[in-house]
Amino acid sequence: MTPLLQIRGLRTHFFTESGVAKAVDGVDLDIRPGEVLGLVGESGSGKSVTALSILRLVPDPPGRIVDGEIWFKGRNLLALSWEEIRKVRGREISMIFQEPMTSLNPVFTIGNQVMEMIVQHEPSARGDVARRRALQMLGEVGIPEPETRMKQYPHELSGGMRQRIMIAIALVMNPALLIADEPTTALDVTIQAQILNLMLELKTRHEAGAILLITHNLAVVAETCDRVAVMYGGKIQEVAPVRDLFRNPLHPYTRGLLASLPRVDGPKAERLTTIPGAVPDIHMLPPGCKFTTRCPERFEPCPGLEPPLVEREPDHWVRCHLHDDCHGYFGRHS
Amino acid sequence: MTTATDTSDVILDLQDLRVRFPVFGGIIPRKTSEVRAVDGVSLTLRRGETVGLVGESGCGKTTVGRAIVNILRKMTYRVDIEGRIVYHHPSGAVDLASLGQRQMRRYRPDLQMVFQDPYSSLNPRMTVGAIVEEPLRIHTRQTKAERRDRVRWLLEKVRLSPEHATRYPHEFSGGQRQRIGIARALATNPKIVIADEPVSALDVSIQAQVINLMQDLQEEFGLSYIFISHDLSVVRHIANRICVMYFGRIVEEGPAEEIYLRPQHPYSKTLLAAVPRPDPDRRR
Repeated sequence: MTPLLQIRGLRTHFFTESGVAKAVDGVDLDIRPGEVLGLVGESGSGKSVTALSILRLVPDPPGRIVDGEIWFKGRNLLALSWEEIRKVRGREISMIFQEPMTSLNPVFTIGNQVMEMIVQHEPSARGDVARRRALQMLGEVGIPEPETRMKQYPHELSGGMRQRIMIAIALVMNPALLIADEPTTALDVTIQAQILNLMLELKTRHEAGAILLITHNLAVVAETCDRVAVMYGGKIQEVAPVRDLFRNPLHPYTRGLLASLPRVDGPKAERLTTIPGAVPDIHMLPPGCKFTTRCPERFEPCPGLEPPLVEREPDHWVRCHLHDDCHGYFGRHS
Repeated sequence: MTTATDTSDVILDLQDLRVRFPVFGGIIPRKTSEVRAVDGVSLTLRRGETVGLVGESGCGKTTVGRAIVNILRKMTYRVDIEGRIVYHHPSGAVDLASLGQRQMRRYRPDLQMVFQDPYSSLNPRMTVGAIVEEPLRIHTRQTKAERRDRVRWLLEKVRLSPEHATRYPHEFSGGQRQRIGIARALATNPKIVIADEPVSALDVSIQAQVINLMQDLQEEFGLSYIFISHDLSVVRHIANRICVMYFGRIVEEGPAEEIYLRPQHPYSKTLLAAVPRPDPDRRR
């Protein structure tokens, strides 16, 4: 199966007064047609910058995509002109953000903002046509009384409703890929469940559409994604089908994350397992494995040598010397 | 709600607490309506116990916390507070809700808060040492040297280094800042700590560290916690008892495991069912 989107060797660096921050430093990732791919990581791991890089939305300065290729439908998105990438945004690849309050324009009506997307990409679809499509889309995302909502302003709606509007705007052009960056983090759990269900439902309805779901919440990933990529220190550390990752996590970081999760199901742990230390300062990442400073299983090669991303099991990739042939520790954890 | 039969153990007792915020409107602003943020909440907190106060945004959980430390009247003009907040002080029970700011001062060292946002709850212009020392300057008559020693001791208690005292908040990560906030709360030897979403802004791997630290400190100092959170999975790990709030009321209260295993109220059930599980076999 040819991937819908292929990220190869992506490096996005930020040139700041305190030095170069290598937020994304060599990311390879495929998004397959029709799948929900989860991209998880803690703050500062580079997951959002990866997403912004796909649509070339990284603020420049201070950020710049210094290397890599992103292939989508036979074109390298990083080589497109500004005019061309604008045509991709919203029409072929859409994005929704965490803050439904700040990503909607407060001075335009809802209807105006949904219709803007249509008119931008299809100048012929004026007036009534755009209006009808906007109305239909609002209905699809479960907005009650879409006629009335069209005339309302963002502040008149709740957080969950605003996120529905964002989804409506993102999907009205029927894009092949939806990038959702922490879409439910600002919402209450009951609303979070509704929004996740809605996204999955819309994906099945518009088949072949893929979703890149960026989140720090592993439980959300478990319930919604087909595959998961775990990021740390600007690099992909592990990629696997969702069941394999939760049943058989290979990277010590993934294992630590899963063990430290407080759970509402299963027996209650007396004490939570922790990952010692803190996410390292992005300006001072170790030259070898980025997780070295916190890893309970580090050994000789870890601090100095970056392990390669290897396919340890079918479709299950991991970047760790424990699972890397060259160091003779292969199989230690199998 | 339940009232303890053995009251000697109870340190805080909320009785039918009601908080109404006025809504002002019109060209000449006057009170046009009101919001019932807390609408009849009763709960008891025992010594050394953690009560989890859970609910979604707007349910009134934060307002309950603020009412206990008696800062609502300072925060909002003409807020209406009814009911009793009985604090069992060694010298006798006192109704905190009836106290003015001056009378409240005597009890403030006993009731401290830890806030959600470790970025905005620490003054960026003060050193960490000065932040942790501030409650001591206000509430104790310790000398400068005594205070300095205590600050160093407190920083060690929250697993920071005493050398950190001369640094500023921006030099620390979110988890470390939350530890600073906890050290400040502990400075005056409180009996009750009200923690309002203390780990919600932290990364998963850091959340567990802070929760474990809070449990250790509780054991060491015999603290009683009111742990306010929207995150049911976090609350389960720290709370002995849980109160589920909805629209200003407690709709269900009980031992933590009871609520998770056998929720009774429809809202508790909905809330619990909506929490995602890290289990790929339970798909949407």
